[in-house]
Parts: sequence; structure tokens; C-alpha cells
Amino acid sequence: MTRRTRIRALLSLLVAAACLIAPVGFAAASTVGPATPALRTTYAQIEGTGSTWSELIVQQWIADVDANGMKVVYTGGGSSKGRKDFAQGSTDFAISEIPYQGTDEQGNADTSNGRQFAYLPIVAGGTAFTYQLKIGGQQVKNLRLSGETIAKIFTNQITNWNDPAIAADNNGRAFPSLPITPVVRSDGSGTTAQFTLWMDKSYPSIWRPFYGKSGLTSYYPRQGRAIGQAGSDQVMNTIAGFAGNGTIGYVEYSYPLNKDYPVVKVLNKAGYYVEPTQYNTAVALTKAQINQDPNSPLYLTQILDNVYTNADPRAYPISSYSYMIIPTGSTDPRMTTAKRQTLADFMYYSLCAGQTKAGPYGYSPLPLNLVQAGFDQIAKLKTADPAVDLTSRDVKSCNNPTFDGKNLSKNKLAQIAPQPAACDKTGAGPCGYDTGTNQPSTDGQQPTDGTSQAPAADGTSPPTDTAPVVDSTTGEVVQAAPVDPAAPAADTGTTTTDTTGTTATQPQAAAADFPVPTELAAARPADTKTFSWVAALLLVALVLMPGVMATKLRRRPVRRGQ
Amino acid sequence: MTTIPTPEAELAQVSPRRLSRASTGADAVFTASARTIGASVLVITGGVGAFLAWQAYPTLRRYGWSFFTESQWQPDQDVIGIAAVLCGTVSVALVAMFFAFPLALLTALYISEYAPARIKSTLVALIDLMAAVPSIVYGLWGFFLIMPHAAELALWLQRHLGWIPIFQVADTDPNAATWDATRYVSSAFCAGIAVSMMVMPMACAVMRQVFSQTPPGEKEAALALGATKWGMVTSVVLPFGRGGIIGGTMLGLGRALGETIAVVLIVSPAFEVKPRILEVGTSTVSSLIAGRFGEASTSQLSALLAAGFVLFLITLVVNTGAAVVVNRSRSGAGVD
Repeated sequence: MTRRTRIRALLSLLVAAACLIAPVGFAAASTVGPATPALRTTYAQIEGTGSTWSELIVQQWIADVDANGMKVVYTGGGSSKGRKDFAQGSTDFAISEIPYQGTDEQGNADTSNGRQFAYLPIVAGGTAFTYQLKIGGQQVKNLRLSGETIAKIFTNQITNWNDPAIAADNNGRAFPSLPITPVVRSDGSGTTAQFTLWMDKSYPSIWRPFYGKSGLTSYYPRQGRAIGQAGSDQVMNTIAGFAGNGTIGYVEYSYPLNKDYPVVKVLNKAGYYVEPTQYNTAVALTKAQINQDPNSPLYLTQILDNVYTNADPRAYPISSYSYMIIPTGSTDPRMTTAKRQTLADFMYYSLCAGQTKAGPYGYSPLPLNLVQAGFDQIAKLKTADPAVDLTSRDVKSCNNPTFDGKNLSKNKLAQIAPQPAACDKTGAGPCGYDTGTNQPSTDGQQPTDGTSQAPAADGTSPPTDTAPVVDSTTGEVVQAAPVDPAAPAADTGTTTTDTTGTTATQPQAAAADFPVPTELAAARPADTKTFSWVAALLLVALVLMPGVMATKLRRRPVRRGQ
Repeated sequence: MTTIPTPEAELAQVSPRRLSRASTGADAVFTASARTIGASVLVITGGVGAFLAWQAYPTLRRYGWSFFTESQWQPDQDVIGIAAVLCGTVSVALVAMFFAFPLALLTALYISEYAPARIKSTLVALIDLMAAVPSIVYGLWGFFLIMPHAAELALWLQRHLGWIPIFQVADTDPNAATWDATRYVSSAFCAGIAVSMMVMPMACAVMRQVFSQTPPGEKEAALALGATKWGMVTSVVLPFGRGGIIGGTMLGLGRALGETIAVVLIVSPAFEVKPRILEVGTSTVSSLIAGRFGEASTSQLSALLAAGFVLFLITLVVNTGAAVVVNRSRSGAGVD
């Protein structure tokens, strides 16, 4: 045996040994590994689809928990799609504004297909009406409408912004003659369901003839001038887009807030026009009836009839809760211990610390009773799989802004909610403040609490002092009588309301001075045609004149020379 | 004495070697596998068609001929028809081809005939890159960047060519002091422009390849006879590449018919048969399927698949037509 072959043999022996030893080494490493996860927790990626109404806050929560190793994927697509995907077992959770309807409005089954589930309230909020309306290039930011006017706008009965009903809602303030273009959802949407449910309960005589039957629908019956768009963000983009002048649409309050767009102040039963800030939504929802029967399949779902008619002057009528649908079956084919643990911890974060972000993002935090009930629903995950660890996750350690430390049965947020400003009352105003700023309009002090690390609270002090409301011509407090649109023509273009950001320091008297819309006559084609002809003649002359002149000039010396 | 072998005797024993065209050994394996793979394409396409037809059958049997004549899509009222979506599909595709065809043709001509050799490969790579951009990007591009300008162009068209039915926009005065921009957005016209950018690279690639196969002998002959470059292009390159031009256009049309996400983003669904391409609201078969698929029940799914079946047949016809045209043309065959 030569030396070289000996070395080669030695090498191959070494390689073989290494191959043998390596797996043992890895095995040793992997036995060390699980010792740590036993203390921490193992997570697995969970996926969900559903509501775009609550998508903005859910995406924020997902970004927050990502640092803790929880991977959650949420893709929106509409509540109807969320419920359907969950029923087909293709997602781990769904988010929907409305529960499974049994049979949907189109006569098809809308059930979970036998998959066991529980409803879990995740956040409250107000369905807001955002719009783009310009008077002389200035965007109107303090429009107010009654529910009846809104219902008539979305059922094509009020089709122009100069409609007397809109002027009456704004205490006689006239708007330009501009067609109203409602922007509605074209996909199956929980926002549409909440909006149409409100119309069906509050204004059945307007809604039912339009829809052709009673009840809510997830698919808005688009007609006439209305534009359909898929998803809340596309609705918002269309309204904020270049062609948005004259449009109005319905989305969750967070969307206009995010886009810095105004929302309609909606008239409540107490006669005040209010904006859906976290306070007004929380106040309204104190009257929500929650299904308290744990054995009912609709446990924890909402009945909002009393919310619509809440007589508190601070209440925003179209407020509602959003729900997560979680799988509770112990044999659920998609779920594993790690996934259940991820879902439980994600929800624990969302219901507690995550609720702090609800207000600043344009939603409203859940009250204590719903958070407690939510914890009971999360506990069903442990019932399904005893390996899920829920220790040290309870309501007492929860950092939720609605909780009053002394009296847990009270909703702190609803208590500190400020009374609306006097100029928001029917027959007064309208207030000069901008809407869509996440600050409730009030004559008193703005509430201060843990939720105010808002993106909106960046030093811009909210309008606090009293807003005197004066007529733009007489300087007197306006009455309910509509102002003659021709009378205050002298004021046109002097001052405008929307001095953004400086409203607080500015004397409020200027706040009620609005530009008065004037209607221009259409540019008739006859004018354009005349000028086109003149322009064409001039052009021809311009081209021909030098030539003609040159020939004339050339002839002259010839004549002289003769 | 010597015996001379008679040729007859020899010949009687010799039999001709049997010639077989059947391949043997490794060749046989290769032939069989190639044939299988080739056939699998047919099987897959046929399978898609058969599946769609099978799924569409209940819907077609239930609604019959009215499925093709009804324009409304209201499953809740048991009224379902694809007249409006088919009309929308065709109008979006035609608008797309109106913009894509000249762009693709001139780009292909420039790259193959005029572009300096230095930038030729860069241009080809850029066109390929355009084809690789996801359609949602084109959708966002169309929605945010193109739609405002497309709407102004639409207004101009309506103002000056409004007497042509396709340029009419209902219920709005083009000469109003402030034009009603909401009537000109989310239309087949806007969607068609976005789609045209998606089909352009595909049509351009086919045309460029055919142009580059033009026999250099014929090109040089034309030049030698004193033709200008443009004269050479019109007399040699374009006639030679006619099949490629038509084929590329048809392939682009096939893709334009089925384009989905960009259309979903841009259009406002409206179910009415209308030739007014500038007006807000239209719907295409694929955008209808994409919009309703996620939340469809069994019967609705069947209706959507029936619509998909019709779209499948249309694209099949268009693409087959393209293939026939390309095959019958002189391109790439019989030249010297």
C-alpha cells in the first residue's frame, strides 16, 4: 500500500465518521432547543381574511405583535369573503361586521359549513360618511346631515348638493349646484351591511322601496349615478381622487382620518350633529344590546336598535362592533397548538394593549364587559386544546382605556366624552371646525386620557373656546330660517372657514363666514367656435402676410426702374 | 470449365431489407416521452374546457339562451346574463388594442430596423421588463396616474366627437362651466389604457421576432435597387412580417380579453350593454369573476364558471385564429 492510498483511506474513514456523528450532534442540539420554547411559547403563522372596515387597526396590531414572534397575515377582501373563506376552512380566522346570516339576502346558505366557531368582539367604531365638496376651490370640511338626508342621498332621492334638505341641515348654508355622486361598495361588505341595516331600521320608508324588500344587504344595489368600488380603500381613493368633487361614500372613520378627509356630522336623536370619534362611538354603544346567552350560536353579537335611537347628545348613531370569528373545534383540521397559541396571544394583545391604539386610529376601544366576554371566548381555544397556555393573561392585567380602575362596570371613555358644541345643535351653527381630525367638537375641555398619544394630538390644540355662530351678513346669531343665497353675495371670497390648524387661535367669529356658491353659466360651444375661427384666420394671415408683403415690395422697385 | 454464377439464382435468395420507421431503443423512449408531454398540453387545455363546461352546464340549462341576452347580474333576483359583461369585455379589449397595436408595431420596427446596435439589447430587455410587471401595478398606475388625464381626454372626445355614438356620455353636458369629472372615470376607456400597457410587450415581442427573421438578402436587394430605408421596410419587412403582426395582435387581444386585476381596480361595475366607452361604469367577464368569486355560493359559482367558459371559448377562437394566420403566412418559411 502506497502512502497516498493510505492517506486516502484515512480521509474516507474520517468523512464516514463525520457523517455518523453529525446527526447525533444535531439531535443533541435539538434536544437542547425545546427547553427554551417550553418557557416561551411556540407560535405558528395564522392567516385570516374579512372586513376592510376594521382592517386598518388589525394591520396595526399585526405590526405590533410581529416583534413578539407572532406572524399574522390578514388580507381584507370584505366581510362576506371572510365568512366564506372561514366556512370553507381556508383561513384560521375571519373578521366580519355581521354574524353568519344562516341564509344570506341572495337566498344562499351563509353558515360556517359545520366548522365550530365563536364570535369575539375586537373593536368598536363608527361608519362615517366622507365626501369631497368644493366651493370656489375651497374644500368644505364641516358638512352636517340628518340621517334622513343621508338615506335619501344614497337612495338617489336627493341628487344635488343645492337641495333644500341639505341647506336646512346646515342651518341655511347653501351649497353649489353640483350633482351628488354616491360611492358605494361593489363587493360583499360588512360596512354596507351595517349601513343598510341602519337605513332599514331607521328609515324603512326610504330604504325598502329602493331595495325592493326589507332587511340589510352586503351587496349595495347600485343604481343611477352611484359609483361602485371594491374595498374601503378604493372607495376612499375614489372620493379623494381628482374626480371626487361631489362624491360621498361610507367607510369606517379611520379611512378619512388617515387620508385627512372630512366626515359628515350626523344628526342624533338629541338634535346634535356629531362626528364618529372614539368618544361619540363609545357613548352610542353603551345602548347596544349584546346577546348574553353563552349557549346561543349568536353569543356576544350585537343588536343596535337602541344605538340608532340613543338620546345622548354625544352619541353617533351608526356605531357598531366588529367581530372576529375564531375556530373553537378541538378537531379543527387547520388548527394546531401553535396556531391556537398565536391566535390567543394575538387576541390578548388586541383586546388589552391594542385597544389603546383604537382611538388614535379612528376606532373606539371595547368596554370592559365585552373584553371580559372576549376572554371567555379565547378560553374556548384552551378547551379545544389543553396545551394552549393562557396563564397570566386575564382582564386585570389589561391596559384598556375604557376601564375605570375603581369601578370596572363603568365605561370610562363614555363618561369623559365631552358634550357637543352648541353650534352643533339643530338650528344653530354650523360650527367652523374641520371634521376628520379625531377631535370631538365641544365647547368644554378636550378629554385627556391614556389614548391621547394620538397621531392627531401633535400639538395642534383642538378648538376649545366657545364658537359663536353669527350670520355672515348681519352679524347676529342665525335662526333656523334659511339664509337667502343671493343676500350675502357681498361676502363672497372674503374669508373662508378652512384655515387648517389655526382654528383654535383664530377668533371664532370668522368661523361662520362661508364662501357663497355661485353658479356659472356653461361655456357655450358657439363662443368657442367663433374664437376658433378668428384664431384660424389670424394664423392664416400670419403665415400669408409676409409673402404677400414681400411680393408687393419686390414689385415696387421694378416699377421705379421702368 | 468455369461456372459463372447466374444473377437470377443469387437474386432469388436475396430479400430486401425491411425498412421500419419505428424508432428503437433510446429513440423510442425519447419519442414516446416527447409525444406524451406534447399530448399533455392538449389534455390540460381540454381538461380546463371540459371542467368549465361541466360546471357551466347547470347554469346554461337553467337560464338557456337568456344567459347570453340578459344584461343584469342579480343572483338574488334570479336574473343572470352575460350580455353586458361580454360587451364590456370586448370594448375594454378593443380600446386596449387601439393603443397597443400602433405602439407595439412601431416599437418592434424601431428595435429591429432602426435602433443602433448598442441600445438594441437594452430596449429588448426593457420591453421584456414591461411584460414582467405585475398587473396590479398597472392597475394602480392606471388608477392614480392615468385616469385623471384619460378623463380629460374623454371630455375632449365627447365635446368634439360626441356625435359618434361610442363617444357619447349620457346625462352630462360637456360644455358645462365645471365639467362633471365623475362621469368620465372608471370607464372602459380608462381600463383599456391600463390593459394596453400590459398587452403591448407581448404583441411587440412577437412582431420583433418575425421582423428579425426577414431574409437579409431581400432587404439588401431592396436597398441596392435604390430604396430608402422606409421604402425597404414597407416593401420587404412589413409584407414578410404580416403574419407576425396579425398573430402578435391576436395574442395581445387574447390577453386583453382576460385581463383581470387592473380592470377590477379601475372600473365601477355596471351591468348594462352600452357602446359608450367613455362613460363611467362597465364590467368585464374576468373582473366579474374576480369580484364575485370570493363570496359566491354554489349556484353563483356555477354561473361565474359559465361566464368563464364563454370567455375561454372566445379566447380559444381568437388564439386559434392567430395561429392559423401565422402558419399560413410566408414568415420564416420558403425564403432564400
